Amino acid sequence: MSYKVKQYLMFGGIGTFLFAAVVVVPFIYGIYLTFTSWDGVSPHKPFVGIANYIAAFGDHEYWLAMGRTVIYTVFAVVLINVLAFAMAYLVTSGVKGQNFFRAGFFIPNLIGGIVLGYVWKFVFNRAFVAIGTAITGAPTTSLLATPSGAMFCLIFASVWQYAGYMMLIYVAGFMSVSDSLKEAAMIDGCTPSQAMRNVTIPLMRSSFVQCIFLSITRCFVIYDVNLSLTKGEPFGQSIMAAMHVYNTAFTYKNYGMGQAEALILFVVCAVVGITQVWVGKKGEVEA
Amino acid sequence: MKKSTTKKLLVALLAFVMVFAMTACGGGGSSEGGEEAAASGGSGDGTSITLFNSKNEIQEDFENLAKVYEEQTGVHIEVYYSQDTVSAHLATKYASKAPYTLNMVDAKDIYSLGKQYGADMTGAAWAEDTDYGISVDGKVLGFPTCIEARGILYNSAAIKNALGEDFDPASIKTLDDFKAMCDKLVAAGMEAPTAILKPDWSLAAHYLQQVYEEREDPEAFIQDLYAGKADLMKDEKFNALMDTFDVLKEYNMFKAGAISAEDELVHQAMSEGQDAFQFGGCWEWNDLLTYDYNGPVGIMPVPQNVQDDYTGKLVGGGSKYFYVDGSEYTSEADQEAAKAFLEWLASSDEGKTFVSDTCGMVSPFKSNTVPCTNDIGKVVKEYVDAGNLVPNYDYDPDDHYSKLGIEMQKYLGDQCTREELAAAIQNYWASTTPVEH
Repeated sequence: MSYKVKQYLMFGGIGTFLFAAVVVVPFIYGIYLTFTSWDGVSPHKPFVGIANYIAAFGDHEYWLAMGRTVIYTVFAVVLINVLAFAMAYLVTSGVKGQNFFRAGFFIPNLIGGIVLGYVWKFVFNRAFVAIGTAITGAPTTSLLATPSGAMFCLIFASVWQYAGYMMLIYVAGFMSVSDSLKEAAMIDGCTPSQAMRNVTIPLMRSSFVQCIFLSITRCFVIYDVNLSLTKGEPFGQSIMAAMHVYNTAFTYKNYGMGQAEALILFVVCAVVGITQVWVGKKGEVEA
Repeated sequence: MKKSTTKKLLVALLAFVMVFAMTACGGGGSSEGGEEAAASGGSGDGTSITLFNSKNEIQEDFENLAKVYEEQTGVHIEVYYSQDTVSAHLATKYASKAPYTLNMVDAKDIYSLGKQYGADMTGAAWAEDTDYGISVDGKVLGFPTCIEARGILYNSAAIKNALGEDFDPASIKTLDDFKAMCDKLVAAGMEAPTAILKPDWSLAAHYLQQVYEEREDPEAFIQDLYAGKADLMKDEKFNALMDTFDVLKEYNMFKAGAISAEDELVHQAMSEGQDAFQFGGCWEWNDLLTYDYNGPVGIMPVPQNVQDDYTGKLVGGGSKYFYVDGSEYTSEADQEAAKAFLEWLASSDEGKTFVSDTCGMVSPFKSNTVPCTNDIGKVVKEYVDAGNLVPNYDYDPDDHYSKLGIEMQKYLGDQCTREELAAAIQNYWASTTPVEH
């Protein structure tokens, strides 16, 4: 065994083994299962060729769920990043107690998605309804009772969860831009907003690329918040792609088709994510 | 020299970490079971089996029962529960080649999972003592844990408080009677006398299901639905049940947000007597006890204006079935131990007390005369003894409750008309592959 291989095995062997065991092998096995009509339980896995892919492409509900996921992702990604950037600006501008604010904004990210979903469900269903009823004097309907309201709640909870995390990356971005560059711009006659637009933001491009990539990929595969906050309700109008995949594979015992739909979701997510990184990286500048 | 010793130590440490990690990953349930067995004083003859319980509310009771059984027989039973969908959870156990010895599943799963993996229990003494065992292809595969029935739950105390007189459920024979009672309650000051649970399983698998079950030949009707020949808008039973559903909707205390009414609030309303009626079944009992219970809460048939053979009857039957894993992953000895446990559960005094008294379930076994401690169960037992139970239909497709649950939710939320609901139900059946059974 060559020295390089030994060195690699010593430092990366365990990691490679674990990565292969929990990611690569299941992924390949998963691809194999898309060619079977396995029900998820039976010892027999009849080979059906590409029938599951044909069924997946013809599954109207899946594409509706995918469409919903795209809408949710667009709104959530924009709001997460706008809010995260604004918060990062706030907590790096020297405002009093900025470390306290940093910790406070980050805390929602420490709460697991399932718990977070239940907490917000309580707030939307009970707290807001009680407040609304008290103010108007008439019974108020929960936001979760309408399809658009449920979508709003999902976006709201996701923004609340992820904005603090993305804020940290933007904070790092802000801090990496040297003050001398901004000062130089100001001396040259820039207003603070021009300095921000023409100096700080272009130099923070890598932060934007990372944050947008992370938020896109996370939003595309949303499941936990979806399950605990809306469970697909009302009327199945808040079922996102990952929940549809789970239902197909496990609830409807159509594992092969569910796996094929999961693979399509993965490809869509990967293409969007990689394209965004590629486009974002192309325009990166250095000071 | 010093360098190589450090290196060796490092390698030994890494090896230890790896072995430890792999043991932790691979050990799974059996190692936990082993530790538990050791902690509880050893397992007699060494037999140790696993049991999957899908009724969360009796998990602790089941664990206690397993201890009693171990003291008596020396057989250790490790009781597990999962929040996951039952079939999905069991699928992972089979995929890891470590299935439970005893599996508590719904009746329909016996026809799929039980048929594939269940051990034959033909000839078991318990099978002679019940009308609710499940046989598939001539083999006894499903052991019923209890009888569950569906109907309209009523809170007698709430009605008495409002009207000042005792409530006699037998006085509600038709939907008109029911509506008159609701009006009376409203006039007496009860703002909204009904509530509706909105989950898909309650609306589709329990309420809508009655449309198929309350007829002479449910199978023929289902086949008509598959073939696209049934016309629900012309079906007397569908319209009768939907008329009742309309009345439940009309007096619903969560009318403003019917589709977002949380189960907890609906249960609380019934438990504390804020409302008088809601559709449900005897499994709600433990949920009702979570609140400031002000009962008794009983159950009566869903009132309908159509009078037929099913008037005055609840719909229900055997529920939560055990099958013994008969696959290659479970030894003959463990299978026998599991069968012996089921026999004990059905025939021993401890087993009978566990089902009827401790868990408050309605026993499916004729020899069990231990009184049921569940207020709703007590009423169900009377219906069972009088032969007034319309059997369940257990061969729905797996996506039935979920997909038609959505349609029922639309109807509950006034998002569709009855015609549209009927069309959606017919379309669902006509586009679904018939379940083989």
